[in-house]
Amino acid sequence: MSGTILSSKGLSVGYGKKVVVTGLEFEVCKGEILTIIGPNGAGKSTILKTIAAQLPLVSGSIDLTGKNISEIDAHDIAKTLSVCFTERITAEKMTCEDLVSTGRYPYTGRLGILSDNDKEIVRKSMELTGIAHLCDTEIRCISDGQRQAVMVARAIAQQPQVLILDEPTSFLDINNKLKLLSILKELARSRDIAVVQTLHELDLAQRFSDKILCIKDGKADRIGCPEEIFSGDYVSELYGIENGNFLPMFGTAEANKITGEPKVFVIGGGGRGIDTYRRLQRQGIPFAAGIIHENDAEYPVAKCLAAELVTEKAFEPISDINIQKALALIKKCDKVICCIENFGTMNMGNKSLLELSRNNKEVIE
Amino acid sequence: MRVIRLLSLVTTVSLLFVTGCEKKKDVAEYDTAGSMELKYAEQFSVDYCENGCSVVDINGDKFLIVPEGVFVPDDTSGMAVIKQPVDNIYVAATSTMDLFDGIGKLDKVTMTSTNAESWSLPVIKEAVDSGDIEYIGKYSSPDYETLIAEECGLALESTMIYHCPKVKEQIESFGIPVMVDRSSYETHPLGRMEWIKLYGLLTGDYDSAEKIFNDKTKAFEELSISDIPDSERKTAAFFYITSNGYVSIRKPGDYVSKMIELAGGKYIFTAEQLNVEDNALSTMNIQTETFYELAHDADYLIYNSTVDGEIDSIEQLIAKNSILADFKAVKSGNVWCTGQNMFQQTTGAADMICDLNAVFMDESESGELTFLHKLN
Amino acid sequence: MNKKRAVRWTVCFVFLTIITAVFFVLELVIGSARLSFGDVLGALSGSGDNAAVTIVRDIRLPRALAAALLGGALSVSGFLLQNFFNNPIAGPYVLGISSGAKLTVAISMTLTMKYGILLNSAEMVGAAFVGSMISMGAILLLSGKVRNMAQLIIAGVMIGYICSALTELAVTFADDANIVNLHNWSMGSFSGINTDDVKVIALIVLPVAAAAFVLSKPMGAYQLGESYAKNMGVNIRGFRILLILLSSILSACVTAFAGPVSFVGIAVPHLMKSSFGTAKPIIVIPASFIGGAAFCLICDLIARMLFSPVEISISTVTAVFGAPVVIAAMLSRRDQKGSM
Repeated sequence: MSGTILSSKGLSVGYGKKVVVTGLEFEVCKGEILTIIGPNGAGKSTILKTIAAQLPLVSGSIDLTGKNISEIDAHDIAKTLSVCFTERITAEKMTCEDLVSTGRYPYTGRLGILSDNDKEIVRKSMELTGIAHLCDTEIRCISDGQRQAVMVARAIAQQPQVLILDEPTSFLDINNKLKLLSILKELARSRDIAVVQTLHELDLAQRFSDKILCIKDGKADRIGCPEEIFSGDYVSELYGIENGNFLPMFGTAEANKITGEPKVFVIGGGGRGIDTYRRLQRQGIPFAAGIIHENDAEYPVAKCLAAELVTEKAFEPISDINIQKALALIKKCDKVICCIENFGTMNMGNKSLLELSRNNKEVIE
Repeated sequence: MRVIRLLSLVTTVSLLFVTGCEKKKDVAEYDTAGSMELKYAEQFSVDYCENGCSVVDINGDKFLIVPEGVFVPDDTSGMAVIKQPVDNIYVAATSTMDLFDGIGKLDKVTMTSTNAESWSLPVIKEAVDSGDIEYIGKYSSPDYETLIAEECGLALESTMIYHCPKVKEQIESFGIPVMVDRSSYETHPLGRMEWIKLYGLLTGDYDSAEKIFNDKTKAFEELSISDIPDSERKTAAFFYITSNGYVSIRKPGDYVSKMIELAGGKYIFTAEQLNVEDNALSTMNIQTETFYELAHDADYLIYNSTVDGEIDSIEQLIAKNSILADFKAVKSGNVWCTGQNMFQQTTGAADMICDLNAVFMDESESGELTFLHKLN
Repeated sequence: MNKKRAVRWTVCFVFLTIITAVFFVLELVIGSARLSFGDVLGALSGSGDNAAVTIVRDIRLPRALAAALLGGALSVSGFLLQNFFNNPIAGPYVLGISSGAKLTVAISMTLTMKYGILLNSAEMVGAAFVGSMISMGAILLLSGKVRNMAQLIIAGVMIGYICSALTELAVTFADDANIVNLHNWSMGSFSGINTDDVKVIALIVLPVAAAAFVLSKPMGAYQLGESYAKNMGVNIRGFRILLILLSSILSACVTAFAGPVSFVGIAVPHLMKSSFGTAKPIIVIPASFIGGAAFCLICDLIARMLFSPVEISISTVTAVFGAPVVIAAMLSRRDQKGSM
């Protein structure tokens, strides 16, 4: 990680007189990936467009390679910064190679004729994003995923130091999402390119970013590394999540729990209860779960979905108190589902629960 | 920056515009030995020169007619030179053709801009049909190649050519003199016919032309109508209905209204009534209600059929505009219609006046005159 | 892969040039005066029958050159606008340029006749040019204020309507003869263009078309959309103005000398894009120029000779050939969109 390549001070962005986001202060170093997240309409795209010198900034300043961006010639900006936006290209009769070749424009002469070196760079960019075989295919005839790869190849061919992408993974399937983000990671690492992007997929943002900038209510709310951002209830508050629960550890969400008197008791542990919790939630059945250790993989899920939960401290064998609590709950329920096959030292208490339940409750194993 | 660009463009173009405007060239002067005697014509004049040439002046355009065997003077600046004998004339003015026929020089004309179907005069129609006179396209786009290949000696255009200056310039650039027949601007109807003298001069037989003119106007000059007082004259309107429903009338003061006056009638429209603009056009469009207001009491209505065809009955007339049924002339059955040949047969101007006279004096029993017929 | 394209382009260019040359020669050889090929050759060098020399050198040659140059100008003008509006059926007259020219020509025809002022042809050309430039000026002003392409097209159409309405007003005071004349003018014709005219046309058309060619690179960038073009360093505002300016000058030149000639600007670029299989400006601009020249030469020949000596107006012929091309273009575009 070398020096700062892009930074802003007191930056406000917007359209004409209308200010959309204020108070932006960030620094992006070479080889760093900055992801901007925030609710819809927060102004993320506006920020990107302003950084890319497409929209005039409202106030404050942006520095690119140490110089104020408004003082840099458009031509030089073109050689430093390339973009990949969401607009759909509707050019007719353009092959993929033609499109990627346009990335070389800042480097070619008067008539835009590509030199051998330029052609080589284009070829390499296409290979990097895995679409070299689409050279002669028209861009109107390829899938969305392929098109996105072409656009990224184009941005790469421009040999930028900063790459700006607006929701690059939006239309892609999971495989292509991962592929694209890996390519970006590789570019950042091997070519020291700084990447500034917006993502809606929080789990991917968590995994592939070096820094995350959160935008809310028209200002920059927080900036930090993923561990800082994805902790506690911050993300839930940022997005105002009401219809589910966000699990910062994995960067994923669970549906809302079904409230009410539990009708089923699930004996879970070791992550094996998760499927059952989710199934019961889908069926709309309030349930109780236990006894789950606090360091169990399914603990966060159980916490989200179970109406009542009995837990045990990490690494401790299940105590009698907790067993009693669980039994009290089982009494209220109609049936018991046991998800565990093997019992060990730590969760021997659950075995008791199971045996005791067999006596007077319907048990499903 | 773009404002400057725009400005410079507009300036350049305006300059082009301005420099194209009329430049008065220095015109050569010759010693004159008299000029052509013209009784009624005002749109042209001819001066005879000592050296045998004639200088024709049509509204400022000058032509030097050089008879056969005479040397062309050294200085002919400002004039188009026409060397006699003049052959292979291209006639693009319909009224001119009849004059040529009148002086028996139709054989000098080999090209025209009106096709056979549009000619109503039988002699001319036949000449075009047989190919003696070739149709070479409209006046606005004549076939230049034929003009050159046929070695056209003179192009006689109507005033319509002023709308296409390019055509006139193009023909002149090939060394073919272009003479514009301005007889339609003549205010006196017989002045129109007097152009026959010019064409006689051009084709080398002025004397015959003069004689023909005098014969034709004799009948007219013998009409005694000057002593009919204004209040006793019969009123008449001359009009047609245009394709979008307006009434097109001759302007008061133009030669048709003059013909009516000379025939002892009174043209019902006056200049004051109509707020007439003083300009070069001879017809004007008025609204039906104005026409009604001013002309419903006219004694006679004369329908101009040269534009959309002759009509025979009053029903046909009323079909064009039902308001006409209320007109006094329609109710009394005094509606006449011109024949299509009226404008083409220029030599008949005097006869036309006599026809009108017959109408006003109620001297026609059959309702069939040379140029007019009564609607039944 | 690249080789295949290069071959295709070369073949197409050669073919186009040959067609243009052939029809150019035909324009010289065919006419109402019968001249053999040998006569024409001789006449070009000045020897032979006087009449033949005049006919070939002063009538047919300027006309052929004018048809070629103006056809090329129209096609390039059309392509520039299609690039600008990102719409393959935009044409040089969509911005109301020809309506502006028609207005000034109508005013010159009717008003000056009324006051007995006689115009010469240079003044008529000047009037048409001024009218076109005024329309263009209005569009340029608007393009600075208007962000949206669709709005600009509507503005252009509105300007066209205003000019037409004013023209009709002028025509109300004209007599039938003038109306016919104006109508004839507005149908377009290459007749009556002489050598001096050709010099002026060449002086305007060739440099401007060359300037358009030099704009190939930013135009190629612009095909991706404004954001990407901006990112690649194109000065959008200046580029837009330049495109409109160049396109307008070209179509103004044609309108001034030959009246409005329709469909060439839309049909020819489309034909070229289909034949060459690409929309790259660096290929399509020269192709359109040569293609437009060929197209107009062919149409002019037909307009002249079909009902000789009567000449049909050139717009009639270009419409007959051009309209099917435009319809095919619209259909294929719909298909392509539909298949996605």
